[in-house]
Amino acid sequence: MKVKASKNWKTRFWAIVKYELLWNIRKKKFIGVMVLAFALATLSLVLPVILSNIVGQQLQRNPDYVVNTGAGIGGLGMFLFAVAIAMNSISGEFESGTIVPLLSKPVSRTMVFLGKLLAAFITLFSAYAILITYIAVGGIVVYGPQNNLHLLPLSLFGTILSTFLWIAIVLAIGSLSKSSLIAALGTFGIFMALTISNPIISMFSDQAWILNYVPGNGVTGYMVGINGQTLYSPGIAVSTGTDNIAANLIKYVLYPSSNVTFFKSIFTGQRIQMVELYTEPLLTVLIRSILVALAYILVFLAISWYAFKRAQILE
Amino acid sequence: MEFAIETIGLTKRYGSLTAVNKLNLKVKRNTIHGFLGPNGAGKTTTIKILVGLLRADEGVVKVLGHEICGDMPEVRLKIGYMPELPKFPKHLRGWELLDIYARMYGMTEQERREQIPKLLDMVGLKGREKDFIGKYSKGMQQRLGIAQALLNDPELVILDEPSLGLDPVGMVEVRELVRNIAKEGRTIFLSSHLLFEVEQVCTHVTVIHKGVALASDTLQNIYSMFSGTAVLQVELAEPSDAVVEALKRFPFISNVEQEENKLTIELKTRDDVRPQISQEIIRSGGVIVSMNLKSRTLEEVFMQLVSKSGVEK
Repeated sequence: MKVKASKNWKTRFWAIVKYELLWNIRKKKFIGVMVLAFALATLSLVLPVILSNIVGQQLQRNPDYVVNTGAGIGGLGMFLFAVAIAMNSISGEFESGTIVPLLSKPVSRTMVFLGKLLAAFITLFSAYAILITYIAVGGIVVYGPQNNLHLLPLSLFGTILSTFLWIAIVLAIGSLSKSSLIAALGTFGIFMALTISNPIISMFSDQAWILNYVPGNGVTGYMVGINGQTLYSPGIAVSTGTDNIAANLIKYVLYPSSNVTFFKSIFTGQRIQMVELYTEPLLTVLIRSILVALAYILVFLAISWYAFKRAQILE
Repeated sequence: MEFAIETIGLTKRYGSLTAVNKLNLKVKRNTIHGFLGPNGAGKTTTIKILVGLLRADEGVVKVLGHEICGDMPEVRLKIGYMPELPKFPKHLRGWELLDIYARMYGMTEQERREQIPKLLDMVGLKGREKDFIGKYSKGMQQRLGIAQALLNDPELVILDEPSLGLDPVGMVEVRELVRNIAKEGRTIFLSSHLLFEVEQVCTHVTVIHKGVALASDTLQNIYSMFSGTAVLQVELAEPSDAVVEALKRFPFISNVEQEENKLTIELKTRDDVRPQISQEIIRSGGVIVSMNLKSRTLEEVFMQLVSKSGVEK
């Protein structure tokens, strides 16, 4: 048979997406993270039921459980998903030598890169959609009818955007180092450095605003006066970082005209005094975090793409 | 004449090491061209440049008439390439890999349905195509490597050490496969460090050593480049000085040595001169018991080329 290899880019592009998707969903790391995520979600649903049975009290209905819980996988969860999906995506091909037959096919490196990105997006989207649906169904079963379920797609969008920032970091380090281990450890190093330094800078520095422009949790402020006040919190907490886009999207829909006030903590004798620093609209916080996330994603993906495109295949 | 592969002054350096040094390579279309050299000679580096996996530092590279500069997927549409010890994603099944690679060539579903089973059958993987590649032996991965190189019915097939890591039976099968592929009118560029493999399969050969091409021609012409390219061993019924003297007068004989009743005749030609020699022996009163034409092996030619090349070892 005479095969007429065609220049149809769609067929070739989807071949790369399929190639990568099959890898993503069959990876032990990814399966492990999914199992862990489901186990934690199940635990968060079941544990209150068990405890209420033990203490003999009926579990109270919580119509906001799903929108609060499903409004974002935590920072660590995003980091784990990002690493599980992306740590082998480019660097693993170099390490295993599978990059050689792959790049000898009539697909440009840019197409391979974009195909891998799309596969990462599809994997992430599917994983989060399943997880959020699971939490929603579980929440209804355990806590009764839920409010604002229509906001869950916003939560999905925000969580994917936040996680994609970590994916971009993993890909950039992986493309530059061509090592999955360095990609994972490098990203973990950044994650830990930001996680540890964040609350310290946030609480005690006058320059906490700088955390608005680095990946992670950002600065924590409060929507003062809009319920949620406690002895330690003057209102609903709002973290401004790129990890909190999903939660802030939902807060913005629920409280569109609210402001966020930021404080600095000062030790005065034996207690901590909170000194007001500045206030800004929640919308500003939200738009800034989205733009910062997009900027980082573009920069890290550009680095990754350039490194991949210029890489010489010595393996 | 347009060549399937043509390089002019191709040079590739890794830091201070020159892996390929001003290589001029011409591979005619519809030939089986061996690319022969020891490990580290620069064969794989050259091939990776041809396929676009590495960038040349200097020189011109043309593949199927296209000058290679940068990432050129349109050229790779016409090439089938089997890497040295190919590594494929272990999480894919054999047929999945071929199906995905075939899609990368833009092949239609019907083409894939026809081509993939045919290739699996050809390389002897029929029945194992649903296994994960992680369960394949080295030989099976090698066969899969050949199959994926032929998916697109390529004009040019580049095989980098196709027998590496195979058992003797596998090696014979691969050689047979290569001959069959060539029958279908393709150009095959086969890199190998196994002299006998090139000798048995190829019509043309380029010998490379330390990144430098030492010779490039048909196998016959490569043999002929060296004097005394063939040796004729004759056993007589009895020793005869008259026969020795008579044979030495032939212009195509460079030397005759006699050891008891056995003559070793070094020839300057690769033409079959046994009729003239046997006539002359009989005319000189000799009686021939046996006659055996022993050609110089490629191994001997290769060693001679390397020693004459002056390339620093």
